[in-house]
Amino acid sequence: MYQRGVAVELGTDGETDPLAFERSHVAVYLEGGPKSPAAEFAKASIEQKDRRFAPDLVVIPAGSTVAFPNFDPIFHNVFSLSKVKSFDLGNYPEGQSRLVTFPVPGVVAVYCHLHSNMAASIVVAPSRWAVRVEKDGVFSLKDVPAGTYTVVAWHKTAGTFRKTVTIGERDAAVSFTLPYAEPTEAGHVAHR
Amino acid sequence: MRFATRTFLSSFIPFAVLLAISFWAIRASVMETVRNGLRASVRDNQVGLAREQARSDGRNRKLLEGIGENPSLKAGLQLLAAEGGAAGQARNTVQDQLSEICDSLSFDFMMVSGARGEPLAAVVRYAEGFAPVNLTRLHPPEQGFFSADGRLYEVTSVPIHEADTQVATLTVGGRFDISQFGVPAVLLRNGAVITAAMRDLAPAQIERALAACSLTADCELRMEDQQYLSLPLRRPTGNGDDGYSLRSLQNVDAASAPLQNVLRKLFLVAGFIALAAMLGISALSSRSIAQPLVDVVTHLRLSAATGELPEFPESRGGAQEIRDLTQGFNNAARAVRESRERLTRAYVQFVGSLAQALDARDAYTAGHSRRVSEYSCAIAQAMNLAEDDLEIIRVGALLHDLGKIGISDLVLQKPGRLTPEETELIQQHPVIGKRILENVQGLEAYLGIVELHHENLNGTGYPHGLKGEETPLYARIVKVADAYDAMTSDRPYRRGKSHAEALAVLRSVSGSEMDPQVVETFALLGDQRKQPAAFAGSQSLRSLSEAVQSEIGTAALEVVAREREAS
Repeated sequence: MYQRGVAVELGTDGETDPLAFERSHVAVYLEGGPKSPAAEFAKASIEQKDRRFAPDLVVIPAGSTVAFPNFDPIFHNVFSLSKVKSFDLGNYPEGQSRLVTFPVPGVVAVYCHLHSNMAASIVVAPSRWAVRVEKDGVFSLKDVPAGTYTVVAWHKTAGTFRKTVTIGERDAAVSFTLPYAEPTEAGHVAHR
Repeated sequence: MRFATRTFLSSFIPFAVLLAISFWAIRASVMETVRNGLRASVRDNQVGLAREQARSDGRNRKLLEGIGENPSLKAGLQLLAAEGGAAGQARNTVQDQLSEICDSLSFDFMMVSGARGEPLAAVVRYAEGFAPVNLTRLHPPEQGFFSADGRLYEVTSVPIHEADTQVATLTVGGRFDISQFGVPAVLLRNGAVITAAMRDLAPAQIERALAACSLTADCELRMEDQQYLSLPLRRPTGNGDDGYSLRSLQNVDAASAPLQNVLRKLFLVAGFIALAAMLGISALSSRSIAQPLVDVVTHLRLSAATGELPEFPESRGGAQEIRDLTQGFNNAARAVRESRERLTRAYVQFVGSLAQALDARDAYTAGHSRRVSEYSCAIAQAMNLAEDDLEIIRVGALLHDLGKIGISDLVLQKPGRLTPEETELIQQHPVIGKRILENVQGLEAYLGIVELHHENLNGTGYPHGLKGEETPLYARIVKVADAYDAMTSDRPYRRGKSHAEALAVLRSVSGSEMDPQVVETFALLGDQRKQPAAFAGSQSLRSLSEAVQSEIGTAALEVVAREREAS
């Protein structure tokens, strides 16, 4: 979710630098490769606070569960119509939370029935190696067994990018260049 | 009042009144036309504005219907319904949604109410943001006006449908500021003014004036002597609108005032010009009517003053009545003149008879008076005396010896020398003549000649012994003529002197007895006896006197002579 108000000057502030913001909203994960070890489920949480989802992007291995606690003094109604996982958590007030498990890999778009401006994305990765890129654009996937994998980079508006990498005894480096469009205030609506 | 003044007033006043009335009527009708035209245009303007307002209301309504379709709001309403409308977070949630919509669309008030009209949630904009409204004390209408916390709101409502069923009503409104309204307007509630755009009118006054107006129809009213036009802008729905009604209220006269001012000035100027023209025309016409009469009156006054009766000149195309009047006067004047001439003729006949009678007493002095009169006139004419003076001299000379009537023939015709007593008797004749004539009216002018024709320049004359200029010129002239005729006439005891001898005698006494100027003038004339009568027929009175002398006088003379012979 982008900030309302005046455009922010590039590079002057790490927190609000639009490019850093966009870089931190890229998810990277590994596909394919040798038979994966047993999944390591993560526990993630998307809060509803000040009529926003926070965070608005989570990256989890398939089979993980995400909690949706409501910290606002008003009702929220979290739902998703995604093919990977569709759910409707119903209306619930402040202090309550709901849990959703995502067994199938894919991207889940999350919204609130009561507040059309609230949106979040959940990237459900097929492997345990899945991370959000740092603000500076760096990501690292650790303890990857040797083999040939496909590295996938996903951004909500830029799309999905794939690269093949073979991991040996040593570390391997992969880099992506994602096209960047000037953000619009209602970007998430346009790409729904 | 003078005739001219009366004529002027009687023509001017009715015209001026007529003019003033017609001008007033024309002005009133033009003003009315102008006012009606402006009223129509103001009305059109207001109707147009009201229509525009309705159109914009329609657009707003479509926008509101769009808001009514807002899925988030619908979800909120579902939430509210699910939670049983209980106070708390469900209501907070909807209020929060309403606040956001209000904020993004610049509304000041928003409310949702349930299918049965029960209010569910409402928010109002304050300076610091939006705040929920206590619904127990707020009952806004579906459409119209309401006031909350001293503020006035205008609201309108749209239904919220869920699967073709109305589940709720959304009421949206903004602060109502009448001064921001497109036309001058006034908001009333049950006939009472809530707020009005016009500050110069008292609310009570507006209420009184508008009381007669229908809530739904156009209305014309008068306030402070000004015409106002009022159109209903928001027709009351009669559906919980709390009796609010919004009307336009525009001063029609103020709109037409500049034009009316121009027209008023125009009419004033035109009126003055017409009045001035009317004044001039009246003055001219009254003058043309009265002037001939004034001329006649002036003429008559002149006649009265001078005693003469001159005829009017032929009037130059005047009015028939005036012509008749002057002609009548002329006829009368002619008659008077003729009778006066007859009178004068009678006088002259009388005078002539007297003179002839006197002369006839003595055959030797026959014609003496006539000759003296002729000589005197010749002298007077030679001395350039006026025609009137000549007339006096002529008649005066004829009468100069009248006094001898009173003197005995014995003395008068005595051939020898006269005794002093007889001389004194003879010298009485000027006084006797004067005494006789002064009792006859109209002969006063000749008294001087009769009385003083024997005075000498040196004062040795009789009867008074006057000197020089004390004796009138008439008498001095007659004296010379008298002496000359006496000397040149034959007498029983001597023959008459010749002209030259007589002149010599006259010259010898010139300056002592005779007026030298008269003597010299007479000398220059030559022998008058050889000259024909110089003055025949030159003037009416003169010719009359001559006629008397030549005809009547001669006839009388003949009668006297015949008698004398008979005796």
